[in-house]
Amino acid sequence: MTTSDSAPCGLPRRTRRQLLRGVAGGAATAALTAGGMPQALYGQGTPIALAAPAGSIAEIDRLQRLIRVELLLEYCYRHVLTGSILTARSSRTIAPFLGQVQAQVAALVRQLAARGGLMPAGPTSVDQANRLLGHRRVGGRLGQLRGDKDALRLLLSTEQVVIGAYFVALLKLEQPALLELCAQIMAASSQHDAILRLLLSKRDRLAAAAPYGLVQGLQ
Amino acid sequence: MVSRDAGASRRALFGAAGSALAAVGGLSLAGCGSATARKVAPPPPAVAARDIELLAAALELERRTVAAYVAGMPLLSRPLRRVARQYLSEELEHTGELISLTRSVGGHATPRADSYRLGHPTEPAGVLALLHELESAQLATYLRIIPQLSPGRVRAAASTILTVDAQHVALLRLQQGQDPVPSAFVTGAE
Repeated sequence: MTTSDSAPCGLPRRTRRQLLRGVAGGAATAALTAGGMPQALYGQGTPIALAAPAGSIAEIDRLQRLIRVELLLEYCYRHVLTGSILTARSSRTIAPFLGQVQAQVAALVRQLAARGGLMPAGPTSVDQANRLLGHRRVGGRLGQLRGDKDALRLLLSTEQVVIGAYFVALLKLEQPALLELCAQIMAASSQHDAILRLLLSKRDRLAAAAPYGLVQGLQ
Repeated sequence: MVSRDAGASRRALFGAAGSALAAVGGLSLAGCGSATARKVAPPPPAVAARDIELLAAALELERRTVAAYVAGMPLLSRPLRRVARQYLSEELEHTGELISLTRSVGGHATPRADSYRLGHPTEPAGVLALLHELESAQLATYLRIIPQLSPGRVRAAASTILTVDAQHVALLRLQQGQDPVPSAFVTGAE
């Protein structure tokens, strides 16, 4: 057995853990590049590490937090949009938001994978989602929404939780590209917030859609 | 005004006094600083100098946008004028916030220009296009400077302005008959 730093074939030697991570990462990357977010990644914490240099634990932890909250938001959008609770106007207006949230999750997952992080699990049932909503102090529960306004309010509160998560991320993260991505998503989430407010408003609608001078969401 | 959604954490960091004063008092009061912002230990001089420069660029754009709202409002229909007045108040709040942030890192805000070249819109559509262009330029600037701002608290504070300008852009787009949220990632080029 060689004792040098290089493997017999000239490749750098790796520990057993690094090799396992590399295999899992390769599979995940293939799945991600094959076409967006495979459902399998939404299940139990799935290792999607790459052989790329690992990110700091703090970065990985923050990305996992962001992905968790985005997965909850995605679950809520999907639940509300697949039900018959929204009016046609609301449904038509917010339908594109689901795809946008999925694109945001995919971007974060790519960042997490590049840092060797473990994919966090998103909610897989209404009960799970409701527990997470309660934990984040969002009013309203999936399955108990009484109409269009109820559903829009729940989505609005969840978007605010997402905005708050990015606010904290911008406070804590340091890597410029990651900061830019977070700022871009935070801004898009605040636009979702405005459109949801617009749908909820009665009079003076445009003013009601952006009622505050500074928005940092809910923490 | 700080969003009602805002948690206590931000207030703990900066306090809301400066921003609220700026919003209520208009341009002349926009420079009133936040009392609590001064309690935060300033960053090292090199970092502070870069931050001051970046914040100055954002402040200049905010002031230009304020000038555009003021100049363009009379050309808008009455309902739109009411909306524009609110957005103007929010933009003034942003200038106050940026001045407070500049002071918190040991700097002084640059003086406001006497006038700005804003073109010559003569009807509501032209005003909306101008406002859209300026708000988008602000988005692009914040997205460029936020990753470069060094203390996390300054970065996060700038992001609370970015979010509101992003909302303004979405609602201006809507008023112009465009998709209000065309992308999952705001870049300022929308």
